[in-house]
Amino acid sequence: MTSVLTRGRTVLLSTVSSDAHTWNLVYLQLLLEEHGHHVVNLGPCVPDEHLLTVARAVRPDAIVISSVNGHGHLDGARLIRTLRDDADLAATPAVIGGKLGIDGEDDDRHVQALLDAGFDAVVTEGTPASALAEFLAATPPPRAVDAGAPARAA
Amino acid sequence: MTAGAGVDLAAHVAAAATRGELVVQPRMGMSDPRRMAEGLRAVAAVPAATVGTITLDSYTRVSDHAAARAAVRRGAPLNGFPLVAHGAEVTARVVRDVAGTIPVQVRHGSAAPGDIFATMVRAGLATSEGGPVSYCLPYGRVPLAESVRAWARATCTLAEDGRSAGVRPHLETFGGCLLGQLCPPSLLVAVSVLEGLFFVQHGVDSVSLSYAQQTSEGQDVEALTALRRLAARLLPPRVDRHLVLYTYMGVYPQTAEGARRLLAGSVDVAVRGGAERLIVKTVAEAHRIPTVGENVEALTAAAARARQARRSVRGPSGDEVDASEVLAETTALVEAVLELSDDVGTALVRAFAAGLLDVPFCLHQDNAGATQGAIDADGRLYWADSGRLPLPGGARTRAGRITSRRLVTMLSHAARRFDGPALGGPVPAVPPGPVAAAHEGPLARIALVGTGPRGVAVLERLAARLTERPPAWPVEILALDAVEVGCGRIWRTDQPEYLLMNTPAGEVTMFSGPPDDGPPRAGAGPSLGEWWQAVDPAHGDPNGYAPRALYGRYLRQVFDTVLAGLPAPVRVRPVRTRVRSLTRSPAGAWRLESPELGGVDVDRVVLTTGHASPEPDGEHARLAAFAARRPGARYVRADSAADMALDDLPAGSVVGVLGLGLSFYDVMAALTVGRGGRFEAAGDGLRYEPSGREPLLVAGSRSGVPVPARGRNQKPPDHVYVPLLFTRSRMRTARRRGPLDFRRDVEPWLLAEMDLVHHGTALRRLYGKQAVTLFHERVTETVDPTDPRAAVVEQARRLGGPALPALDLPARARPFAGRRFGSPEAYHRVVADHVRRDLAEAEEGNVDGPVKAALDTLRDVRAVLRVAVDHGGLTAASHREFLASFVPVASALSAGPPRVRLHQVLALLDAGVLRLLGPGSVFTGDDRTGRWRGDAAQVSGAAVLLDAFVDARIPTPDVRRDPAPLTRSLLRAGVWSSFTNASAGGRLRTGGVHVTGAPYHPVRSDGAPEQDLYVLGIPTEHTRWFTQVGSGRPGRWGDFTGDADAVAEHLMEFLAQRVTPAPAQEVVA
Ligand code: B12
Repeated sequence: MTSVLTRGRTVLLSTVSSDAHTWNLVYLQLLLEEHGHHVVNLGPCVPDEHLLTVARAVRPDAIVISSVNGHGHLDGARLIRTLRDDADLAATPAVIGGKLGIDGEDDDRHVQALLDAGFDAVVTEGTPASALAEFLAATPPPRAVDAGAPARAA
Repeated sequence: MTAGAGVDLAAHVAAAATRGELVVQPRMGMSDPRRMAEGLRAVAAVPAATVGTITLDSYTRVSDHAAARAAVRRGAPLNGFPLVAHGAEVTARVVRDVAGTIPVQVRHGSAAPGDIFATMVRAGLATSEGGPVSYCLPYGRVPLAESVRAWARATCTLAEDGRSAGVRPHLETFGGCLLGQLCPPSLLVAVSVLEGLFFVQHGVDSVSLSYAQQTSEGQDVEALTALRRLAARLLPPRVDRHLVLYTYMGVYPQTAEGARRLLAGSVDVAVRGGAERLIVKTVAEAHRIPTVGENVEALTAAAARARQARRSVRGPSGDEVDASEVLAETTALVEAVLELSDDVGTALVRAFAAGLLDVPFCLHQDNAGATQGAIDADGRLYWADSGRLPLPGGARTRAGRITSRRLVTMLSHAARRFDGPALGGPVPAVPPGPVAAAHEGPLARIALVGTGPRGVAVLERLAARLTERPPAWPVEILALDAVEVGCGRIWRTDQPEYLLMNTPAGEVTMFSGPPDDGPPRAGAGPSLGEWWQAVDPAHGDPNGYAPRALYGRYLRQVFDTVLAGLPAPVRVRPVRTRVRSLTRSPAGAWRLESPELGGVDVDRVVLTTGHASPEPDGEHARLAAFAARRPGARYVRADSAADMALDDLPAGSVVGVLGLGLSFYDVMAALTVGRGGRFEAAGDGLRYEPSGREPLLVAGSRSGVPVPARGRNQKPPDHVYVPLLFTRSRMRTARRRGPLDFRRDVEPWLLAEMDLVHHGTALRRLYGKQAVTLFHERVTETVDPTDPRAAVVEQARRLGGPALPALDLPARARPFAGRRFGSPEAYHRVVADHVRRDLAEAEEGNVDGPVKAALDTLRDVRAVLRVAVDHGGLTAASHREFLASFVPVASALSAGPPRVRLHQVLALLDAGVLRLLGPGSVFTGDDRTGRWRGDAAQVSGAAVLLDAFVDARIPTPDVRRDPAPLTRSLLRAGVWSSFTNASAGGRLRTGGVHVTGAPYHPVRSDGAPEQDLYVLGIPTEHTRWFTQVGSGRPGRWGDFTGDADAVAEHLMEFLAQRVTPAPAQEVVA
């Protein structure tokens, strides 16, 4: 595991506007904190504007979106477009994961669309937990101004 | 627009309930109206009582109708039916085809349901689900106060509009689910009831109260019971209500098989708990939105299972479980909330603000977030941290720091349990012939060492499970017994007929379910009583005490029946052999050795070796040594009566018998009836006609009195006693605080329970049943945990009960303690009177006689006592005292031979064939005469010289003194170890085989469990308590059958893994 001191990121953890599931958020918060990150957890059904407002204020090192209700591919795409349109947040590394469509295995169909819409990584069911740690480890260190293009994981 | 009135949900459910049918309902919703309509038609076509569901999508839930409309326009599939976006007309068309056949309910999850209700009513629908709390906290970020306002308004409008449209509005609470998992039942039941009250307050008079299945079937049945009772107390009688159970709402099994099993489990809970309706889950649950076909499959399976479960329920029903813990917690929560305001909504808002209601792991801003739920070793949910919840008994603060791993472990508890063996790939349902044939010999081999009742019970449960899920590969079961395969030594079929059982035949069964229309088989077959009547109509009597040999024949019959029904790949090899050793083979399997088998390697071994013939110790050893020195002084050592050398005691010789318990009656029968004597009816009792071949019996014990008779049996064979005070949950809760002190923590409650029956019986005789109900209620309300007996006595007095002398168990076990008798004749008169009084009490019955009913409670609550004392439940010091003081008294008073045995004692005393030495009896070797000498410390002139001495005490089990080579080999290798209770600083070496909890693996001397071995029954005595149970009971499973099934379940897991080894599983994020 990487050192907490050098690698701890401030992570904005959220779900999408129509998704009420929170066990995923509780779990991911614990996991991220155990890896030394600082987590701002926005809870369920987060409207796009609310997420943007908080993100502008917090300036997270990374944004982690989790959605399992099957609307993730719709809401997620809309959300990331809005985010990328915002000058302050255009380059913030962002990942989305969970159960993104309603057809189970066919989740893969949505991956490319979500990457195209602006996510740096899309994590689908069955990907091990370490994927998230790797993604964050590859993001620029905290408070670095510009460390080049964010890496792609997944 | 308004559609015609559809089928009324409440009436539909009530009608099904009177037919004894469980109503089943899917969670189903798709965005396309055509597919939604198809789905409803498919549900209506299922041949069972169903309700149709329209589950709404997430956009509609958060009132984002624009997004829903956009998705519909683009044809993007949603996770439910966007009711508002489609509008009333489309919706009415969707339900049109089924409206006359089944009720249709809209399930949504919105904290602002106004639009949804309005559209529904216009579409002719007025049945929905939710609640101001349960559709708020788990479903988004709407403030609770706002949700309460929105729900109050929408509920009133629904009530009015529904009625004017000619449909009766019905609302189901979602409070019994909340976040779906890790919330102890009391809070779920409380919110469910409070939301029901909220609906009623806002004008709805037809409600259903929900509860979502959690992680323990037993606890769930208790919760349903609590829900029903509390609803009965709080909802006005005019309100139509029923209970609805949700199949598990948390992380679901991954495999189809696991999913089906969990569904089946929920059906059983619904049936046992008396829920009238069940909302099912499908095999797709863990992965995606289910298809219509998957929903239909789940409904069909659930309905079939419910029909089957109604016939033979496994486990106690709602009326039989002890719901006191859930009920007490729930009542405390509900009452605390209702005190906050007359308006239920306001009270709810205040309660959450104050943390009096607080949902574990809920992120909502109006939830205090100070509580934590967790799952205990039995799979039951408990409060690891109760935050500020006003729970009876004060705050719980045992929560450890929660980690992501621990969270996932708890969340996936149910999934793991039900996926269990199935994970690792599908197990082929039909044995693939050629592949199986390619194997030389079996793929798995299991040995049962000892085929007495415990061994047969394991075989029966294993067979029942194997029939449900036949293995794909050959499995061999070795059924080994040193004396008689199928019944074992104690019940062997060649013993004399005068040796009787001590349990009425109707109360004995070795089938784990009642007989049904089919042939007898594992899982369904007759009790001993039923079988006895069938094979011997002239003598068979369910209330009678069958000869032991007859029980042996029954056991063998069960054994043969079970064997005959095994699926083809399973073969049983019965071998009469004494296993001499059991050791790890180099390959990691177990090597069994016996003269007949040589060495055999087996994968799993069930050790049910039963009664040992221990080496005499202490006093026994002294007596044996004397007999060895003096060939004239015969000595018969303690054993099963059929194995005692009683036949060669000469007629007319004087025979001392030590012990006046159950073994004594066997010895007495052997030396009287067994010698050709006869008992004839005479007046109220019996007269003995000697044959002249009897010896003279001189019997004694510490108390000097034969153990008292069991009350005339008035309890039906499947009788279940539900304790009120001495409850499992109370003992379980007490144990969570650490090892118990028997005198302080356990005995007061046990005695209070006995007092309750003592006084309750007296009250019932005077004033009828209602008086007892009232008595119980008052006792429950006033009981003081520091002195539970006081409330019982006090409330009985207030209700006008007679003044009864307190039940003094030690005094009853030793009625003549401290008394002296001037001569043997004087003692004879007193003890005969004593026996006659006991018979009079016994004649009153074990239900109607206050004393015998109270003493019978000792038998009825054995299982509760086990919860308290098993596996080191008591401190070492208290355990020692329990064994030394309580156990002998309790067994003397609850062993209870049939009354006829005491009539026989009186007849033999009269005939001069039996003499009772008196209290403080001692037997010694008399070195001067070379004979035995019997004397009684409390009776002057009692001393008598004897030709023979019979030890008729049942030896205390102790593996350390069992000379059997198998036991020796296991102890030597450290595979078995004697259980040492080392809690609370003390140390008690018990001599019982140390085993884990279910499935009872032996714990090695180095502390590690042997997970491929199991030990049940007598060898484990002292680690567990009262293992000398030789049969199951009809009706609800007791520990005997439950223990056997736990072993069978574990064996099944092994077999499933054996055929398709599971790959290492990693929790995936
Ligand atoms: C509990 C539960 C609920 C609870 C949620 C309460 C709450 N506040 O959380 C309740 C009962 C309220 C609920 C409601 C609904 N639910 Co729900 N729910 C579940 C259930 C049973 C368990 C989810 C859970 O607790 N998981 C535990 C967490 C820890 O695991 P997880 O969420 O799967 O996340 C893991 C991974 O996915 C991964 N992960 C998740 N996100 C991310 C992100 C990143 C970046 C990474 C790296 C990893 C990652 O990490 C986690 C740990 O392994 C699932 C089915 C199942 N899984 O068994 C359905 C399920 C998720 N629900 C579902 C649906 C559709 C709904 C509803 C819309 C109702 C409906 N139409 O059926 C509503 C939601 C309303 C809304 N506005 O969204 C569907 C989703 C369908 C799909 N995607 O195809 C499921 C799959 C059930 C089903 N088969 O229909 N639900």
